[in-house]
Amino acid sequence: MTEIPSDAELVERFPYARIDHDNKALYRGWLEKRLRMNRCDDCQRFHHPPKPVCPGCWSASLTPSEVSGRGVIHLAMFLHQGPPAPGVDYAKAPHPVVTVELAEQEGLRFTSTVVGCPVDEVRIGAPVELDWVDRFGAPFPVFRLAGSR
Amino acid sequence: MARNPIADEVAIVGLGSTGFSRDSGGRSAKALACEASIRAIRDAGLEPGDIDGLVGAAEPGGPQPQEMSAALGLPQVRHFSSPTPVAVFALVDAMNAIYSGSCDTVLLYFAYTRLPWNSRSAAQDPFRRRHTLGVMPAPESVNAAAAYAAWASRYIHEYDVPREAFGRVALNARASAAQNPLAAMKAPLSMEGYLGARMIREPLCLLDMDVPVDGADAFVLTRTERARAMTGSPIVIHAATVGLVGTNDEDQLPSLARHGQHVVVESLRAKSDLWLEDMDVFFPYDGFSIITLGWFENFGWCAPGGAGRFLEEHWDEASGRVMIEGRIPVNPHGGSLSEGATRGSGHIREAVMQLRGDAEARQVPGARNALIGCGGFFFNSQGAVLRRL
Repeated sequence: MTEIPSDAELVERFPYARIDHDNKALYRGWLEKRLRMNRCDDCQRFHHPPKPVCPGCWSASLTPSEVSGRGVIHLAMFLHQGPPAPGVDYAKAPHPVVTVELAEQEGLRFTSTVVGCPVDEVRIGAPVELDWVDRFGAPFPVFRLAGSR
Repeated sequence: MARNPIADEVAIVGLGSTGFSRDSGGRSAKALACEASIRAIRDAGLEPGDIDGLVGAAEPGGPQPQEMSAALGLPQVRHFSSPTPVAVFALVDAMNAIYSGSCDTVLLYFAYTRLPWNSRSAAQDPFRRRHTLGVMPAPESVNAAAAYAAWASRYIHEYDVPREAFGRVALNARASAAQNPLAAMKAPLSMEGYLGARMIREPLCLLDMDVPVDGADAFVLTRTERARAMTGSPIVIHAATVGLVGTNDEDQLPSLARHGQHVVVESLRAKSDLWLEDMDVFFPYDGFSIITLGWFENFGWCAPGGAGRFLEEHWDEASGRVMIEGRIPVNPHGGSLSEGATRGSGHIREAVMQLRGDAEARQVPGARNALIGCGGFFFNSQGAVLRRL
């Protein structure tokens, strides 16, 4: 178990993220390559993005809980231009951005990109699994098509 | 029937606009707001001392109400606010402030300036360059504008919609803008031109997205009772509403079948004595073409997924525009896609011009009632019914 990074270090490791006290546990999880989403201790429902209370039952007792990262592509767009990011070359190929409905709970979704396959294989309905790439020296959660590792 | 005691109690008695362009030639947003505001106050036949309320949409780079009060020398203001965009938030606030007695007569203004993150030329402007988004976000986000491309992908997936459905929204806007002296984009557009346009956030291309512009709109609102003394048949707000569902984070939205537009339509339907069959002109917001298709379906002009076919069936080949049932034009000013990205103020202004009978070449003969569906799916869905008494 590594030392828990300070808030200041967290902000430094993720220069592209708007980190606050409500979502800091999500990004701390990334440093361990764990995707953790807020889960309510009282009603067991996940929600995302992280909120200070459970929107279902108003409990403030929430635990960032690891999810499998398995799911199905729900939304899929392809950026032909956009913000700069390491490893993203819009001139070479459009950059896929997908919202994945996670296996853990209906309607619980996480947005990232898909790596390791041609862009035209990124389609709504495709099953995916979680993977990690490096971005600015810190882990960044991405998806790849299920079974493509 | 929902409570709507405010029905017809607040009137729009003044209009002013600078018109819209890709480049205002070095004028500030405040300068544009002042020009539109002075025009609107003069159009209403009022003096600075008559304005005791000031409501200005909090557009990035736009002036605050206190700055406008100082610039225009308004001697006493009793209500001022800066509602979040898009336009009907500010309209509702002005309406409520007047009806409640917080103030009597409101100057409502909207000033737009191209910003470094949505306009290359603005990024070259040394003054504008200082406006930044702060943290440069990662590309992997469906927040804000990107959400519409993401959900357009879902819409196409669920309903097997061809690109031409989106294209008709863009074509209708462009053909309409050609008749509007205030519009920024008037060059003719064909379906081939639409289909060949550069992809930005596929499935949405450049022509599915509103055009960043410089310009300003302003309105003067007052009590209908007072408006009657000023003009024979005032234009009034018959009903206005905003709508929000609980799960409105862009990527967590439950589905295209339940979002802010649905709340708006239910609320407006309950408040309004007038509905689709009573309308003379229709203003579905078009910050992104997918939003327009949503308004057609969610107002009930057609079934979910059917807006593209509806536009085709109600297409007027002669003018290259939509004419619902051969009589109801859609965004006759050219909308955000071609008049310019007015974030809804252009839709409201054109509705008032049509109801006043001042829309010149675009005039719908005898127009009395206008329906506005403003904003998108997530956190800025809004609607209004305006009428001429």
